[in-house]
Amino acid sequence: MEGEGGGEGLNQAVQQQLNLKQVKTRAISLFKAISRILEDFEAYGRTNSTPKWQDILGQYSMVNLELFNIVDDIKKVSKAFVVHPKNVNAENATILPVMLSSKLLPEMETDDTAKRDQLLLGMQNLPIGMQMEKLKARLDLISAACEGAEKVLADTRKAYCFGTRQGPAIAPTLDKGQAAKIQEQENLLRSAVNAGDGLRIPGDQRHITPAQPPLHLADALPVIVNDPTAQPQLSSNTMPAQNSLLQTSSASQLLGRSAASPSGATSTTSFDNTTASPIPYANSPRSSTNMMNTPSPQPQTTQQQPQVQQQQRQKLMQLPKQQQQHHQILAQQQQFRQSAMQGLGQLHGQHQMQFSQPLGHQQFQGRQLPSGHVQHGIGQSQLNQGNQMTRLSQFSGPANSALFSAAQTTPNTQMIPNISGTLPSQSLLQRTQFGLSGNNPQRSHPSQMLSDQMFNMGGGNPGGMMPIQQQQQHGSQAFGSMASNAQNLQSGLVTLQNTQQNHPNFSQQRQQNLQ
Amino acid sequence: MVDMECVVQGIIETQHVEALEILLQGLCGVQRERLRIHEICLKSGPHLGTVASEVRLLCDLEQAEPSWTVIHAGGAMRGAGAEQISVLVRSMVESKTSKNALRMFYTLGYKLDHELLRVGFSFNFHRGAQITVTVSSINKMLKLHATDEAMPVTPGIQMVEVTAPATAETYAEVASAVSSFCEYLAPLLHLSKPGISTGVVPAAAASLMSDGGGTTL
Repeated sequence: MEGEGGGEGLNQAVQQQLNLKQVKTRAISLFKAISRILEDFEAYGRTNSTPKWQDILGQYSMVNLELFNIVDDIKKVSKAFVVHPKNVNAENATILPVMLSSKLLPEMETDDTAKRDQLLLGMQNLPIGMQMEKLKARLDLISAACEGAEKVLADTRKAYCFGTRQGPAIAPTLDKGQAAKIQEQENLLRSAVNAGDGLRIPGDQRHITPAQPPLHLADALPVIVNDPTAQPQLSSNTMPAQNSLLQTSSASQLLGRSAASPSGATSTTSFDNTTASPIPYANSPRSSTNMMNTPSPQPQTTQQQPQVQQQQRQKLMQLPKQQQQHHQILAQQQQFRQSAMQGLGQLHGQHQMQFSQPLGHQQFQGRQLPSGHVQHGIGQSQLNQGNQMTRLSQFSGPANSALFSAAQTTPNTQMIPNISGTLPSQSLLQRTQFGLSGNNPQRSHPSQMLSDQMFNMGGGNPGGMMPIQQQQQHGSQAFGSMASNAQNLQSGLVTLQNTQQNHPNFSQQRQQNLQ
Repeated sequence: MVDMECVVQGIIETQHVEALEILLQGLCGVQRERLRIHEICLKSGPHLGTVASEVRLLCDLEQAEPSWTVIHAGGAMRGAGAEQISVLVRSMVESKTSKNALRMFYTLGYKLDHELLRVGFSFNFHRGAQITVTVSSINKMLKLHATDEAMPVTPGIQMVEVTAPATAETYAEVASAVSSFCEYLAPLLHLSKPGISTGVVPAAAASLMSDGGGTTL
């Protein structure tokens, strides 16, 4: 960095800011002083004379102080040019050396040179500014084509009544009011499931239920009698019911006979309302007896039969409904696929949708899922154009990275336009190489190579989105999300069949990280 | 013998549950299982010790014969490592039991704290770990044990839970498997640890998936 090569490649303002010339001069003078000291030591050795330690210690102190100052200055210089990853763990330790290297692997460099020549065909003689203008024009043409395709797809969905529920006019993100309402409901739902908030019944309503137990709790409820807190309430309800039951069944034994109380009448009425068939009512005296005496096996056997019958009825009623739903789903899916293929035929969509993948358009990628089979027929020439698109997206990334790097080196805001305007082409080339190294994990990944053969897609196509986003993260997060990148690679190994679906998920996660 | 579990939760709007079911059936490769569970939460009284204890009794009403399960979910794993994992790892003990469990716990001194009814469906499959995905509406009972009169806590939103059993030696792999699987559900819902809300996926992505599912009005 402090040598001549680094100086020549940098901007004059940057050199002045970092005071490189002074550091270089001091380093050279220090080198000369050390050389002089070494010559003196050689002279001492030749003449075999006693050295003057006082002078030697003085020179050592001077050399040490100067070295310390130079090292301190070099640290300031290094801050602008050294990348230091902060989150290194087992997942990203193998990827970091490749991403931090300033030079591509030989085969990657050969492939990149070939792609670059193809991209800049006919424009190599022009200056950098005109090259960038032409590439931007090409980008605008492709964006217009993507927007046209998206519009035609929306019209087709509307024509076939797929968009009536939620049309394309609806904003892709929820407004703040609706988002706040949904968050409130989410908090309510989560607290109910995890902590029981909002599910507790006030104490005064609990005594109502014992008269109407569900079938699956019929055997468990008598235990409530043993509950000390609930026993007084239950006993007050049991006595009137017992009296009325005894009168109805005309038992031989008559306990103390008294006039019916209003609560007794209410209890009798509730029994009549809850019993839909005579079977549970016939069992009521036995269950009442069961409360007082030891339970016998006969009542349990009798009570199980109504359970089985009712549940079987429920299942019989539910089956036709499920079959109807499945039938509708299948018919609807076929209709949607037909309409999608017709829409694509109108678009010449194979050619245009190919370019939308490197742009990372989330909405577009979501639509590609139903029509993924169409892309199997993509020809070789279209793949080459897709690869060109990949290089285009990579080329625009270094400009942003260079601008950010310039902003980092100069805290003065007024100097930023001058620095970015005068950056030489060599700097752009270096940053392009750095951005391209992000392709290596995707390209050399075994599942990626297999998926290339399976789906007949270019090697650079899925990785086309990585350089832009990684450079943005490099500027803003400094390798904070390396772990998630490695997790994406791991998830690719789980199932190869999901590789195509993995692509929209990848962009979704990247956008979440950027937010 | 498993003694831990990995959990993530999320919410989804009811209108997109059908699309999620289709996505899950494609990802899991198994048929769904209908779900109707009466969940009773019991808490220990002061005379059972100084440390409070919470036990959940689950009665599966979808079976021909009601099936009872008792679950004790303990504390979550803490520390810097737990913060970095995207799933919640906590101790959990589960056991099948008879219908007398409720009577036994009442005898021991446990008190009824709250109860709820889950209605929905679930998928059980193996992908790096034995994973269970549950999509259900959470219903509140207006009267004690009145499961026929339950009403949804949030009518338009349902709860999604992804759980997988683990042991002290295997929870790292299980957490990784659960986290990887959750990424496949990203087009339709976000999943996070219990207690951390994430909201719903914006309408555009969910709408596209729903139209792919193809439900009629």
